[in-house]
Amino acid sequence: MGGRKRTGRGREPRTRSVALSLREYGRGLAGGLLFSLPLLYTMEVWWMGFIASPLRLLVYVSATFVLLLGYNRYAGLRRDASFREVMIDSVEEMGIGILFAALILWLLGRVTLEQHHSEIVGRIVVEAMTVAVGVSVGTAQLGGDEDEEVGMQGDGDEGEDDSVEISGGEEDGSDQGESGAGGGRTHITFGGQIVLAFCGAVLFAANVAPTEEIVMIATEISPLRAVGLALFSLSIGAVVLFFSSFRGSERFAPVSDRWSIVIGTVVTYAIALVASALILWFFGRFEGQAVIVCVMQTVVLGVAGSLGASAGRLLLQ
Amino acid sequence: MTKVNKNWLEWTVFGVGLVLVLGTIGYLLYDAATIGEPLPDLEVGVGRAELHGQDFAVPVKVTNRGQQTAEGVQVEVVLIKDGAEQERGTFEIAFVPRRAEREGWVTFKTDPRGGELRARVLGYERP
Repeated sequence: MGGRKRTGRGREPRTRSVALSLREYGRGLAGGLLFSLPLLYTMEVWWMGFIASPLRLLVYVSATFVLLLGYNRYAGLRRDASFREVMIDSVEEMGIGILFAALILWLLGRVTLEQHHSEIVGRIVVEAMTVAVGVSVGTAQLGGDEDEEVGMQGDGDEGEDDSVEISGGEEDGSDQGESGAGGGRTHITFGGQIVLAFCGAVLFAANVAPTEEIVMIATEISPLRAVGLALFSLSIGAVVLFFSSFRGSERFAPVSDRWSIVIGTVVTYAIALVASALILWFFGRFEGQAVIVCVMQTVVLGVAGSLGASAGRLLLQ
Repeated sequence: MTKVNKNWLEWTVFGVGLVLVLGTIGYLLYDAATIGEPLPDLEVGVGRAELHGQDFAVPVKVTNRGQQTAEGVQVEVVLIKDGAEQERGTFEIAFVPRRAEREGWVTFKTDPRGGELRARVLGYERP
């Protein structure tokens, strides 16, 4: 993006003020809690901490990290940040997630010093990953107008932060125009849309996936109902993306013709299903199950997934 | 390449975050490398009986020395006194995580002191 090139021209790096970063962390903590509270209070998730093998937990940590990278790259607070900055932000968020999950689990009495360390680490890791995603989303999305403006200007690397004043020279003048169009809320590529839809689907589906109810519904409903659920999920996606003038829907899912609606809806649902299946696999829901039950579970969870991939995605931008 | 501009607070948070993330990954790698036979290995230990109201409560400690969590662990304690079985008590523990310890109690009407208490795990399932 344009912003990166301009910084390469030897602009002095400017730092945010401590007050501003404190406000960002505050938002991050609130967001982390907002998105992960249901999971912090779900016993199946606590159990996952000691049932899952360390290898599976490693996969979970890596997958979350990739998700954080994707989110920070395409929708984070500093959208055209360099790869290094995106890396640093993601590590920060994951660290905050671990600390915060540990604190809350301890307050809830779910983690105690009498437990074996593998159990303690397991419980914290499983919860911390959702908290980390919540922190990332919260930092970027919960900002007020004032913060947002600073953030958006920062995107183009042109903004005046609280800490440093820059003089508006001719170079700045010309850049400002560019930044208005190039920085901030620009159009996100197809790949970026997929990443964000995936983030949204994971964020929503993860809250329901670990519960027993998904398996219960999947084994008890008739195939006809499952088809109904799939159609329902598709409709949610279509309505949210194309027919309800949701925040950002015109910009990110513009209606050009009937085919684009069909393709957009189907792609969104496909992402929701993939995300749902991956989460179910992590929570061990596919072990020892017949293929049809696995498919049914995915469809049942796909309702939450498609809500996340459509509405969640638009809110995440 | 852009310079990353951060203030001291952000660098501190990043530093702590990096340590936590690397520590977690390191621990999980170590745990994965040292994990052995992936089966629960349950051991039952019986404590000293205490009079609770009209019954005698016997604390039972279940330790899982294995590498996998056991679910729905059923424990049975048989009280043998004067060469004959007097009573049996059972209870179930929802989960005994790997390398963890859980505690439960069985109660007897007969005074177990002076008798013999035989404890064993009846069964469990893989979660």
